[in-house]
Amino acid sequence: MDAIRVTHVTKQYPNGVLALKGLSLSVQTGEIFSLLGQNGAGKSTLIRILTTYLRPTSGEVTVLGRDVVREGAAVRSRIACAAQQVSLDSHLSLAENMRFQARLYRIPKEEGKRRMEELISAFGLEEFRNRPAAACSGGVKRRLDIALAILSHPGILFLDEPSAGMDVRSRLTMWEMLKQIRKEFGTTILLTTHDLEEAGCLSDTVCIIKDGREAAQGSPEALKSVLRRDMVCVQFSSGDEARRYLPLFLEEFPQNKPFVRDREIFWNAAGGDGGIGPAAAFLLRQRLPFVGVRIARPSMEDVFLRLTQEEMREEETTWTR
Amino acid sequence: MDTLTIFRRAVGWRFHNRITIAVTLLQPVLWLVLYSLTAGPAMKLQGIENYTAFLFPGLVVLVSFSACGSGGMMNYMMKADGSFYRILTAPVRRGSIVLGQMLEAVLCSLFEVAVMAVISLFFSVKFPQTPGRLALLLVLAGCGAFLTAGLSYGISLALPNEMIYETAMNALALPVFFLSAALFPASQAQGVLSILIRLNPFTYLIGSMRALMLRGEIHPRETAAVILGFLLLGVLAFRWSAGLLEKETRR
Repeated sequence: MDAIRVTHVTKQYPNGVLALKGLSLSVQTGEIFSLLGQNGAGKSTLIRILTTYLRPTSGEVTVLGRDVVREGAAVRSRIACAAQQVSLDSHLSLAENMRFQARLYRIPKEEGKRRMEELISAFGLEEFRNRPAAACSGGVKRRLDIALAILSHPGILFLDEPSAGMDVRSRLTMWEMLKQIRKEFGTTILLTTHDLEEAGCLSDTVCIIKDGREAAQGSPEALKSVLRRDMVCVQFSSGDEARRYLPLFLEEFPQNKPFVRDREIFWNAAGGDGGIGPAAAFLLRQRLPFVGVRIARPSMEDVFLRLTQEEMREEETTWTR
Repeated sequence: MDTLTIFRRAVGWRFHNRITIAVTLLQPVLWLVLYSLTAGPAMKLQGIENYTAFLFPGLVVLVSFSACGSGGMMNYMMKADGSFYRILTAPVRRGSIVLGQMLEAVLCSLFEVAVMAVISLFFSVKFPQTPGRLALLLVLAGCGAFLTAGLSYGISLALPNEMIYETAMNALALPVFFLSAALFPASQAQGVLSILIRLNPFTYLIGSMRALMLRGEIHPRETAAVILGFLLLGVLAFRWSAGLLEKETRR
């Protein structure tokens, strides 16, 4: 069953900006679904529509079988959201924020208390329990924000860039919590992220949005296979060195369009004479001071860039990080 | 239940921002102390024995605008810290959100009225001695505050930022205060000024409170009309605000 179904949705803001241009996607019950896209791709607009905060200009959106426009109140009782902007009552302490959230969602007092203790412990918030939210660091606020969203055990949990501002430990803790919530309560989780590792590790399905439309949707592995080719990767001791030798590679493997990323030169192994054998022969013939050579499988980053960047091929020749 | 949850939260916000109580009290207290002392002798010539007592009901209106105005400011702060979005996506009725905050603004207004009342005791102001009359005075003050709370909430949703909101609230509060019977008897006004004062509903609210305080008089029909009229206007302001809040999610 679809927990979320979005069909040909457009959203035009009063100022004329067209944020969504006929987006369609579906999210299965109980899955972790990641929305990937560049800034302005329409991810946050979609979340705001799904959480009933905004109305779509056209198209249909159902959440847990309910229409978000006509049955907004029913939808709101089954969902929770941690928005991109941390949304806490800064004058309340962490514990008070949680108690307020429990009352908002009509969680019985004792049950609310039990869940609160559980989340405080799971998110490592013990020492901040009585501290006003305004006096906490960004990472602590973010953890609390997500804990608040989880408190009501929603049918669908929306997380807009949940790992933004979190340190590595908190991020890993949050990932574990999300997996546990899904396992324990069957909660469907929809998150937006810029973190490709997060999308790859956490998600059952990834949807890449570009300019308000879906560019691709599938499991991380399925999306990686979209590129259907391995890359040859030659590593140098520095990025400057890699860039210095790039023209030689462009001349030798023009069909394969080599490009520099960090301190490595990449090109598509398929097509022309760009395989690992010709590469090794070229390196030895030119006596280049390379550190290593390998075959690299495409990462989520490669898929993302391939699907979201305009004129990717032209950019690849000059793009560096 | 939802209303109570929002109300408690708003009380918490007010308690945390106690400075708003002091700031919103400042101007009415200055009027109460300085203006009544300065203008008192001149008003004695007009037959007003205790001008501080005469001024008090008008200042109840002024303090309501100040206190409820800062309640509207809460919406801008909630939007800035994101909790506005959290509440709107929670399973809480829009009406409960508005009503909870309006009731907190009414409570704050009544608290500030009580502080002014204590101060005015030092200026020989006498308040009704019976609990019934005292309660009636509080009901009248509460009705005025309910209307101003609804207006403040709606205006804060209708205007884009705090600066425009503050300007708009001043542009509303000062004419309401000056074009009423707050500073002088309505009967002394003439011409256009008299018409404007009679068109101002707060004139009648002030009149009822003043009759109760200065002469201990209750005119049942007039008082009931004032209470019902203000409740009606308050409900209209509440519905307007709730509509605007609903509209926030229809953009």
